[in-house]
Amino acid sequence: MTAMKSKFPCRRIFRLAGCLAAGMVYAAQAAATSCPPADTEALQWLEKMSRSAQEVSYHGVVTFQRGDDMQVMQISHSVSGGTASERLTQLTGQGAQVTRTDHPLECLHPGHRLLRLGATDAATGSSLSGSCGIAENYRFSVDEGERVAGRKAVRILIAPRDMYRYGYVMELDRQTGLLLKAQTIGRGNKVLERFQFANLSYDEEVSQAPDVEVLHNATHSLPEEHTGAGHYSEQWTVRWLPNGFTATDSPAGAGKRRTYTDGLAVFSVFLEVLPQDIKPGEGVARRGGTTSYTRGMRLAGRPTLVTVIGEVPVNTARMVADSIKWSQEP
Amino acid sequence: MSEKLRESLSAMIDGEANELELERILARIGQDSELRQTWIRYSAVRSLNAGEAVANLSMDVSEAVRSAIGEDSNSHNETGFSAGTKRFLKPFASFAVAASVAATVVIGGQQLSQIGESVPYSSSLAGTSPVGLINSVGATAVQASYGTQPVPVLQPTARTAYHKLARHRMQKYMQEHVEQAALNSPQGLIPFSRIQQIQE
Repeated sequence: MTAMKSKFPCRRIFRLAGCLAAGMVYAAQAAATSCPPADTEALQWLEKMSRSAQEVSYHGVVTFQRGDDMQVMQISHSVSGGTASERLTQLTGQGAQVTRTDHPLECLHPGHRLLRLGATDAATGSSLSGSCGIAENYRFSVDEGERVAGRKAVRILIAPRDMYRYGYVMELDRQTGLLLKAQTIGRGNKVLERFQFANLSYDEEVSQAPDVEVLHNATHSLPEEHTGAGHYSEQWTVRWLPNGFTATDSPAGAGKRRTYTDGLAVFSVFLEVLPQDIKPGEGVARRGGTTSYTRGMRLAGRPTLVTVIGEVPVNTARMVADSIKWSQEP
Repeated sequence: MSEKLRESLSAMIDGEANELELERILARIGQDSELRQTWIRYSAVRSLNAGEAVANLSMDVSEAVRSAIGEDSNSHNETGFSAGTKRFLKPFASFAVAASVAATVVIGGQQLSQIGESVPYSSSLAGTSPVGLINSVGATAVQASYGTQPVPVLQPTARTAYHKLARHRMQKYMQEHVEQAALNSPQGLIPFSRIQQIQE
């Protein structure tokens, strides 16, 4: 998990295999030719949001709330020479720092790809790529936003079209499209978590570095990245996904993990073969918008523990865990 | 009606009940008229608190629930399973009902009159928000189980153990999940703040 690992593969591989992989995703969805009517303005804003998240330099202080718990952190994002470097420094709690350096701007992960699809389609009125992006699974409307971190915002209301995902209220900077505030909305219109900028500036960062206890370099696994096949790889499959969810990286590189996104929500599935028998059952833990669903069962005669973690309702996690199957007998 | 049941009901109407609480209510709702009355009363209070009109509260939510349970047991009868197989199927069938009840309750609490209209995005109260989980054009069927694995009814000790396991796995796997979330959702590195202890 070093910084080295995140520097090189993307540039080398992305243009070759990356575009191939993307093409395959679209081909698979090519049957869908007409998209549900969607708020074109909202989709354009979301595309702008996705671009600014990668292409704009900014820094500021962000709060993140889940229930009574609030964390404060410093965020900085700087772009130079076609790559972006990001840093998150916790000002409360653990005091950890997370960095990701030299992330190429053209390296577009599936989540952002989905966010940018909808706008293109809405502009032409039909689906060019064969996919409607997030408009297939969410309904949008645009509203006058409040002021966030001193910036005038536009508010995008995002309601899910089914019950397998949460809703969101996002406030974007009217000028840059940067996401200034986001709330995740669960059942009964309950706010599950909320983050927002407390202050923000778009100039170069000059602030002093706070004390850091732990330094973590964020990994950069890719849709195209093929690591050596672990003994778990390609032996198990997820047979059910909510509509519109796409793998974030290739199964071969994922080993005992698979991660899926619909552009807004992300969840991961972890599989463990246990050394001894387990009493079949299930358990749920929740924190803010995150659900952890663990299911013990026998798969192909072996005691197995499946865990689904992500920002989705527990029913979705359960359905996914239910659908796990060994695709080839190990 | 026991205090525990009352709490479960309250949690359900607030959309905070877990599966176990839903199951507890479902096991009783058919026979317990007091429970049904309390359900309607709690829904009324909740709607009033949320500033919604009371007109819709004449709707008996529990009626919808009973019919959901009815359909569920009918569907089993039709399949002609033996009694043993039915017992085997029951656990996840009851969750399917639980999910449909949850949907019914939320729709009920949120006013059926809104269905078909555009959702009114008025200014929100603290802690609530104008966007719901609910599809504003109507209650959609939710599949609650893929149906490959029966979920056994657990003894309390096993339930506690599984809850602990879910919490433990959340800690164990959160960072790996977040690495992906940070690359694939619009918040950049902010998902890292969901991790309790970031590892190097």
